[in-house]
Amino acid sequence: MAAEPKLAPIRKGLLEFLVLKIVGAKSVYVPDILRELAGTEFATQEGTLYPLLSKLRREDLVQYEWKESDAGPPRKYYRLTDTGRAQLDALNEYWTLINRTIANFGH
Amino acid sequence: MQRIATTVRLNRSVLQFDDAAHARLEQYLAESAALLEGDPDPQEILADLEQAVADQCTRRMRPGQTVVTLAELQPALEEIGALQAPGAETASAHTVREPAVRSLQQISEGAVISGVCAGLARYLNLNATLLRVVAVLLLLGTGGAMVLVYLSLMVLMPYAPLQPGGEPIRWLPAKTRAFMEYIRVKLGVDRPRNVTA
Repeated sequence: MAAEPKLAPIRKGLLEFLVLKIVGAKSVYVPDILRELAGTEFATQEGTLYPLLSKLRREDLVQYEWKESDAGPPRKYYRLTDTGRAQLDALNEYWTLINRTIANFGH
Repeated sequence: MQRIATTVRLNRSVLQFDDAAHARLEQYLAESAALLEGDPDPQEILADLEQAVADQCTRRMRPGQTVVTLAELQPALEEIGALQAPGAETASAHTVREPAVRSLQQISEGAVISGVCAGLARYLNLNATLLRVVAVLLLLGTGGAMVLVYLSLMVLMPYAPLQPGGEPIRWLPAKTRAFMEYIRVKLGVDRPRNVTA
């Protein structure tokens, strides 16, 4: 697709928003996030997700806790902080706003 | 032939790798560490990554298999993918801008009288012509009260910034326009011109 090079940065920019949405819905560990994104335009890999989650944690938007698993070592479960919740709400609102703006042009 | 296996601790897991897989693993981890150059918290990401490699390899091993080979490691690394830095850590988290509110302004371009209807139409997301027809009907129906409403809005609504190539309303002398802008600033419904917000 000729437009593809222009679509990639859009997806990249929205991934953080989407991860906040997923983490905001319920406490998840990384394979849960990958599963939810798989099959969408935002399918991604652990190599992308870990640095992103690390950044979100430093920005105090998400935090994690260790939970025992049935098989293998304990897992990191991520959830939103209050700051993260506020940012997600702001992003949702902004997203609605720009969607409306975009829809209003080009008629 | 005897395979020599190396025991590697990957975060919270301990696995054995054959020589080829061990070499590939070292290479991958070294590349990842290099990619994290400048990241404020490389240790955490590397630890997560090591755990991911261990989990992915374990998942791919046959029951009873004790040593990880390239047959497990290679697809595991492909699934994990190379490290991708998230977008540059901007200060945007701290300086979230107020979303631009569509403001109620007179639009001079294409104005019939002063651009009040065009401005109201943009503000209310309505068709400007439709709004003008309604205004004329109200003018006829209310016997002149509408004139006062229009004049008030004409004085009170700030002028929208001119589009490139746009012209200020021609029938209205520049001095009158400037005077109305002065009144608006005094009334606090407009900001002084030539001030960068």
